[in-house]
Amino acid sequence: MEFLGSMLIQIGIFTILATSFNLIIGYGGLMSIAHPIFFALGAYGSALATLTTGVPVPIGIMLGAGLATLASVAISLPSLRVSGDYLVIASVGFQLGVLQIIKNSEWTGGPGGLSNIPPLIDTTGPAAIWSYVAIVALAAIATILAVRRLVGGDLGRAITAMRDDEEAFSALGHDAMRLKILLFAFGSGLAGLAGGLYGHYFLFVTPEQFEVLYSAAMLTMVVVGGIRTVWGPALGAVLLQLLPSAINFLKLPSSVTGPLQGIIFTTLVLVFMFARPQGLLGRAPGAQVVAEEDDPLEVRVK
Amino acid sequence: MSEVLRTRGLSKRFGGVVVADRVDLMLEGGRIVGLVGPNGAGKTSLFNLIAGTVAADSGSVLLNGAPIDDQPMHARARLGISRSWQHNRLFPSLSVLDNLVLAGRDPRDTSVTRERAMAQLEKVRMTQAAHRFPTELSYGKQKLISLARALMNEGNCLLLDEPMAGVEGPAYDSIQRVVRDEAAAGRAILVIEHNISFIKDLCDRAVFMFAGRIIRTGTIDEMVESAELTELYFGT
Repeated sequence: MEFLGSMLIQIGIFTILATSFNLIIGYGGLMSIAHPIFFALGAYGSALATLTTGVPVPIGIMLGAGLATLASVAISLPSLRVSGDYLVIASVGFQLGVLQIIKNSEWTGGPGGLSNIPPLIDTTGPAAIWSYVAIVALAAIATILAVRRLVGGDLGRAITAMRDDEEAFSALGHDAMRLKILLFAFGSGLAGLAGGLYGHYFLFVTPEQFEVLYSAAMLTMVVVGGIRTVWGPALGAVLLQLLPSAINFLKLPSSVTGPLQGIIFTTLVLVFMFARPQGLLGRAPGAQVVAEEDDPLEVRVK
Repeated sequence: MSEVLRTRGLSKRFGGVVVADRVDLMLEGGRIVGLVGPNGAGKTSLFNLIAGTVAADSGSVLLNGAPIDDQPMHARARLGISRSWQHNRLFPSLSVLDNLVLAGRDPRDTSVTRERAMAQLEKVRMTQAAHRFPTELSYGKQKLISLARALMNEGNCLLLDEPMAGVEGPAYDSIQRVVRDEAAAGRAILVIEHNISFIKDLCDRAVFMFAGRIIRTGTIDEMVESAELTELYFGT
């Protein structure tokens, strides 16, 4: 039962990560690979705040999420001012640079990371873990609902237009840069929240848990579940968390399971990109309707 | 008529290509000015400089007497510069109505904005397309919707980039009528158009551009009769 609870907690945390990543790259069309480092800033920020200052864990988690949000604004402000393309470059540098700082700093525990992180709640005992499952599930559902609200209303219309054509969007009087920074900051802050929940459950964090390759895992979840769908990333997180566990049940040698997981992940991305780019929950792009000659809407075109 | 827009010595070059060379232009409220010239003359580049899509190397743009050179594109739109695009640039993921709602002063989907959007669609006889997506419509209809979207901005400066391209028949008359009505309501309108008869029917005066410079200002008849301009336009 503890295994199942732990699995559900990881699914919930990756649901928050994939949903927030979908907000940035899917809805916002902002290319970034730095999502793992905002996850790390949430985890490390919260762990350090609770370990060094003794603030209550919920406050620490909020501080970690706030740190991730501030850091995202700090890198998006200069890069988005020039062009959206610079965000990709800035995100690569930020991901690799901050991870190097974490690995090589004494106050972050260096390569060994931080341990003895205080728990959010006491999860010892078979029943207690379900309380944490409930907390993470609530956070994941709140994240999904927040994203749904964000992309569904008036702001969602603006986000869609900005993604379609940023220049035409600005020419209508909208500040595209402000909207992009808002989206990036909100998505990164959610990644920070996931980091806090992660650190205060596993009670230790190390730099390897936040390597750049995790952005590929998050991208796979988004693509498989359905990019620009509200529930797709959650489905992707469920499938891609269960898949490695299913492989483990095959009792294959570890020399086989590692590469096998990699092959399956890569194959999944390739298959979905070519065969079903809209993912499992996405709608197929509508066929373009060609106006007929007798269409009452038709305007004669030279 | 009051001055709405003025450019003073507006210049821009991309590497060795000069797209605007000390352009002085003045638009008055209630007047329609045609901007003509061969492809590559710098007409759309001038629109881009006025609207803030690209920054000028030198010179100045004044809107209602105040310089707006430091203002980014979205701020200029809020101050009252509205433009349409040569290739429409409607948002394909949004319905026609949402394309217009987004261009309103209050871009929330309020009943007021929605009513205004439907009123603009009515002007171009496209209300029946409100809930369709732009990609479902012909290029000509997209042109009409692009014009309606530009009209959502209640400012007094309207820049129209080839509003007649790909359009003929009843839509021709609709566009003429709408542009005239907007001028009568006090807007200053600058129109890029290759359809000379459209310019002739509509514009009070025309400006001829070539190689980033304004070569001549006058009536379209004067320009058509000019052998020099005809040669520059057609290259013959």
